[in-house]
Order: sequence, then structure tokens, then C-alpha cells
Amino acid sequence: MPGRWILLFIFLWSPFAVFASDNAYLEELIQRARQANLSQRAEWLNLLHYKPYPYWPGKRSLADDSEFFNAPHGKTDAAAELEATLAAFFSTSEETDKTQNPQCRFIARYQWLKQELQFDPARLPSQPCKRFYQWHASLDPHEVTLVFPAAYLNNPASMYGHTLLRIDARDQDEKTRLLAYSISYAAGTDETSGLIFAVRGLFGGYPGVFAITPYYLKVREYSDIENRDVWEYQLTLTPKEIDRLLMHVWELGPTHFDYYFFDENCAYHLLSLLEVARPGLQLTDRFRWWAIPSDTVRAVTDQAGLLKRVVYRPASVTIMRQRLKQMSADQGRLARDLGQQRIDANNDRIRELPALDQARVLELGYEYTAYEATTGGGKAANAFSHMRNLLLARSRLEVPPQKPEVAVPSVRPDEGHKTSRIGIGAGSRDGRHFEEIHVRPTYHDLLDHDAGYTRGAQIQFFDMRWRHYRGDDGLRLEEFKPLDIVSLSPRNDFFHPVSWKVNIGWTRKRFPGNEEPLVFRLNGGPGLAYSTPEKFDGGVVYYGFIEAALDVGSRFDRDYALGAGPAIGLLANVTDRWGVHLSARSLRYGLGDDHWSRDLVLEQRYALSRQSALRLGLSRKQEFHDYWNSGNLSLHFYF
Amino acid sequence: MLNRKLVAVALVGLFSTGAMAAGENNIGTCGWGSKAFDGQRGIAPQVLGATTNGTSGNQTFGISSGTSGCTQDGVVKSTWKTAMFIDGNKEKLAHDMSTGSGESLESLAKLIGVHDQHKAAFFQVTKDNFGRIFSSDNSTTDQVLASLKQVLASDSELAQYSLSI
Repeated sequence: MPGRWILLFIFLWSPFAVFASDNAYLEELIQRARQANLSQRAEWLNLLHYKPYPYWPGKRSLADDSEFFNAPHGKTDAAAELEATLAAFFSTSEETDKTQNPQCRFIARYQWLKQELQFDPARLPSQPCKRFYQWHASLDPHEVTLVFPAAYLNNPASMYGHTLLRIDARDQDEKTRLLAYSISYAAGTDETSGLIFAVRGLFGGYPGVFAITPYYLKVREYSDIENRDVWEYQLTLTPKEIDRLLMHVWELGPTHFDYYFFDENCAYHLLSLLEVARPGLQLTDRFRWWAIPSDTVRAVTDQAGLLKRVVYRPASVTIMRQRLKQMSADQGRLARDLGQQRIDANNDRIRELPALDQARVLELGYEYTAYEATTGGGKAANAFSHMRNLLLARSRLEVPPQKPEVAVPSVRPDEGHKTSRIGIGAGSRDGRHFEEIHVRPTYHDLLDHDAGYTRGAQIQFFDMRWRHYRGDDGLRLEEFKPLDIVSLSPRNDFFHPVSWKVNIGWTRKRFPGNEEPLVFRLNGGPGLAYSTPEKFDGGVVYYGFIEAALDVGSRFDRDYALGAGPAIGLLANVTDRWGVHLSARSLRYGLGDDHWSRDLVLEQRYALSRQSALRLGLSRKQEFHDYWNSGNLSLHFYF
Repeated sequence: MLNRKLVAVALVGLFSTGAMAAGENNIGTCGWGSKAFDGQRGIAPQVLGATTNGTSGNQTFGISSGTSGCTQDGVVKSTWKTAMFIDGNKEKLAHDMSTGSGESLESLAKLIGVHDQHKAAFFQVTKDNFGRIFSSDNSTTDQVLASLKQVLASDSELAQYSLSI
């Protein structure tokens, strides 16, 4: 018995025995590292993911995983971590399928320190790290691409878009990109409720992890299932930089970070990988408070010489829309009927078409059936036999593929207006003049110029307005909306989305007797939107909503008012620069403090440049029994 | 379209907590979850997983996590590459084969090592034999692989490639 304990004791202490025998060399390395002040170098701090605290001075690592550090206080003490890491490199433990030698586990740190301190291989032998090099060989890295699936509005958690990195192998080209691997950072959770995810995600409630996935699975998710257009930004990273990036990804593999939806999200962490790859790049600095994926893409494209070229990958739905545009209305209806399984592949009306048109109708019919099956509409249950018949019929036609070319949008997501906005303006309400400041930290409203954005998608956070009335003292808060989302998704024969809106915040409400206190308001509801028929993403969108509103404030009888009513509107681009939004709403607050609230609003925007615009708002409103008119001209800057 | 998806997701969310737990699809079968295409509503959890930027069962794709199912440190083992690719792209592949072109067909050709000079023949043969390769309404990956192998073997020009399936 005692013999076994002694053996166990020796086994446990053996790594330290190794340190002891080479102590002198370790001491020497530590001294040299101290002299060179390596632990404060940007490369080292980047490898440890040290970032400044947002609220007070100093830095700490964002990694929330003790395994990522060799020193007990490695999260806050970069120097101690460096020295403990050097000590760990003397380990002679051999790699197994589940464990690694520290030199391999921290291979990016090892390679950097080896280069800076010129390790003597006789005194600090280097480990083979077979698993890493096998992994590296199977990726066969040649180029790195930043992938940006554009926003997909109707899910609140996906509204900002998402980013991932793609490792392109040497022998791939644009036709075989599906075979690449992607590296993404995401919250590791089985949470199936988007809402719960969004809420917990705000507060770092999930562990975030880096993962590697075949790109074809990502394309399936984004292009085929979620119908998001994907932008692929190929970067100019050199082989050496790519190696550094992959070594670092390897280190990060099992490491977890607390996932924060706003700031420490996928986009933020991918930027930090690029900072490791190319020392000197400063991409994350500007995202101390929040990181919006499209802004992080902008940070990358803003860097001189980092972008090689951009490839646009239209979503399945985008391709279907393009097919429809190039097809006669009759054939479009046939394709629709195929997709809704009202007719089958051998229908006479299809068979009597010329072969080329048959191919067009069958191809679109198949895509539409797949779309319906995926999105849960239609008769999904027996779609497979129908789908196979469509393809079988198509395969018998000896005509070339009819997949249309989709024109690349002229403005990329990183080229649209910037996402923060400030506006200054002046106006009059019933003859009382006022000046106004409007701050919208992020992101896009219905009237902002659409270029690079999804039309009809409004997403604003922490929108604030202050107003000063001529003759009054000081500024007063007019409105504060932490969250304001509108999703207008036009319907047509093929697509039947339900539009919706939700907003929450505080706003001024006029009570009888000209009192105007701030009240809390929760407002939202479902709606239907349509666009001018000739074009699906056409110039005019019109809509109707059924809205509900809950107002809470001490000025109300019983402290609240709960109302509902219709809202209608029209959104149009008169010219490329000139946009118009006309809306009307009538809410009957029938519960709590009984009253009516109505408004008629005409808003216009004229874009002076991509980053500036004029806005003119005219409105007539009613609260309780008071009616009043107001007008407001303002100048907006995007930054 | 979008809200319907959300509703589907919400419904699935109610019933799925245990049944569709992380990575279940991949254990033993070495598939990416072709089950998603088997049960129509099964796609919803994947939709959600993706739209919320969440990943469930990341073990399957774990970087430097060792051997797991058909992956080694997160990368698909070479013996499984073709099967996994077909499993993850079945609908797209069927579509591409029926028209004789497309990126998933190009990628499949690449995976089984079809030389440039044989690509046109490969596309034509898979198109002509679409009904054999996807022989039933809901072919499994194994069935697709086996029939593709047969189709290639019976073509004099492409027979060599049947060996790499």
C-alpha cells in the first residue's frame, strides 16, 4: 500500500522535477523576458485577450476559463502568466487524444516566445505537436475570408447579422468554396427560445466558444434555411499571418468566454483573432461599448491593404425572386402552384411549354417547395415525393441550368450609412418654437437610406431626444426608447410573412391642462405589408398594423392606460436621395384612463451624402381632447 | 414567412428540450443531422441555433478537442469527407444533379477527385441517372453513395472514380 502512494506521489510531482533540473535555463529565460518587457507587448496581451476595462483603468483578459492560464492570476497579471507559461513549456508530458503538452496546447504563445527569446533546443526541447500539425495540414490554409451573413430581421437575436472566418484551402476556388472550413464564435447553449437567448445574452449568461464547422453547413444555415444574403470578404493575410491565426485558434479551442450579446459577441472576438494574426492591427479598440457585426466588417475594410476582394452569395430567396422577375406572370403562377403542391411535375400546362421554360418553371417550383417545407408552410409532410418528381422531370430536359445571375448590390453592408446618428433641428408646435437634439446610438430606421441595409427593417437601441422650448429654461428629455424594432416584410403570391413592431421606452404625453409628463410606454403589434406589384423589392411599401399600447404614469387615472387600434402607412423612395414615410394611427385607450390618441405623420428624408441627411417632419396629433400641429426640420449625421 | 418560422420554432421549443438535445444527430451515424430533412419540423432547432448565433453540441466541432465521432480536433476525418458532405448537402446535390451544374456538384466532384477533363461527363452522367442516384423519395446518405458508386462504375470514362467513393 505505501508503495503505491509513493509512486503516485512521484507521478504527481514529476513535472516539477523536470523544472528543477532545468531551473537555471528557466530562470535565464524569465530574466530575459523581464528585461525585454515581453509581458507588456501588444502581441502577448493579444494572445491572452487582454482588453481595457470599460469603466476604469487597467486591463484584464476576457477569457473566463482557468484552463486558459498557467498562473493562478493569469487573467489579470500578464507578467505572471508569461513566466508560468515559460515554466510549463519545460513539461515533457506526451500528447494523447485528449491531452496536450503545454507547448502544443499553447502553440501560438510557444512560437512567439520561442522567436522572441530564441529558445535553445538543447535546453528546452521542442515537442512534435502532431495533432496540431495534422489539423493544420487537413485545413491546408491558403487564404482567410471574413464572412458576413446579412441581417435577417424577423428574429430579434439575429438582427445585427453575424460574422465568421473562413479558412480557404489551397486547392479550392469560387466553385468549391463549400469545402472550406469556417471558424465562428458563438454562445454554447441549447436554448431554443430566441427571446430567452437574447435576454440572457445581454448579461453574459452563456459561455461563448470558438468552433470549427464545414462551410457547407454554414451556407445551408444562412443561405438556404434562413435566407440571408452572405458577403464574403477575402483578406490579404500572408501564410505566416494565417499560421499565427490558426495556432491561436487552436489555443482558444476549448477556452470559454462569457458571451455578451452586445459587446463581447462573435464579431468582436473574430476581430481579436485578426489582431493576433497581423500584429499592429487595431480593430477592437473602437468597440468598447458595443460591437455590431456590420461595423466590425467596416473596421476591417477600413484597414488599408487588408481586403483583397468581396464575393456576394445571394440567399435562396434572393435567387427565387430573381427567377420570378425573369419569368412571365403565367409561368410564375405555374411555379407557385408547383411549390404549393396544387399541381404536380407532369402537369399538362407545364409539359406543353418549350423545354427551356419548362426547366425554369420546374427549377423555381422545386426551390419554392423546399422553401415552403423549410419555413414550415405548405404541405411539408409529403413534400419529398413531390420534390423528387420535380427534379426527375427537370433531369429529363436537355437544356442548360436556368439559374439566373443575381446582380451584386451596388452598396455593400459595410458601405452603407454608419450606425450611430446624431441630429440637430428646430421646429414649431402650435406656434411654440423649439430646438431639438436627437441621439441614436445604433442602428437603422425606416427612413434612413437603405443602401447596404435591409429595406423595411428598423432596429434602434437607446434612441434619445431632448428638446428646448423657446422661453423655457434648459433641455428636457422628450423621448427615450431603449428598444424600437419595426419589421416590414412585403407579402405577395409566393411569400406570406407577417410584419411586426415592438418598442419600449419613455415619452412625453400631453394630458388635459397642457401638462406633459414622461410616461412609460410598451407598444407593438402584428401587421401586413405589401409592395408595388411589379417589383418585389420595389419603390413603395404600404402596410397596416393592429397595435396595442400600454402607458404607465402617475398622471393617469389608476396610473395606466391600455389601448389598441389600427395603424397604416406608406414608405416610398421618390428618388434615390429622397424618401417619404406617411403614417396614421388611431388608438383607443379603453382600459385604465379612458381616452383617444391619434396621429397623422409625414416624414421626409433627403440624403445630402451617405453620412448626412435632412429630415422634415410634419404631424397632426390628438391626445385626450387636445389637437395640435407640429413641424420640425433637422440635420442628421451618421458616425 | 418569417413569423411562421418563429412559430414553428416556438412550437418545437415546447416539445424538444430533451429529444433534440445537443449533437444527438451525430453520435454513431457520422451524419450532420440529415434528420433535419427527415422530419420537416426538425429543421426548426437548427434554424434557431443559427439565427441566434448559438451553437448546441459544439463538441462535434470542437477545435483541439481530440477525436469525436467522425471528426478529429474538429475537422472531418478523410474517410468520412464524402459521406459527410453528401449528408449535409443532399437537397442541394439533388437539385444540382437534376440540372447538371452547381456548386455542390462541383464540390462533390472535387471531393472524389474528378479531373477537369472528366467533369463535364460527370455532370452529364449524374444528371442522366438522377432517378437512379436518388432512387427513393427520401434516400439515405448510404443509398445515395451506393447508387452513385454503381452509376459511375457502369460508365467507362468515370469508372475509375467509383473507387474513391
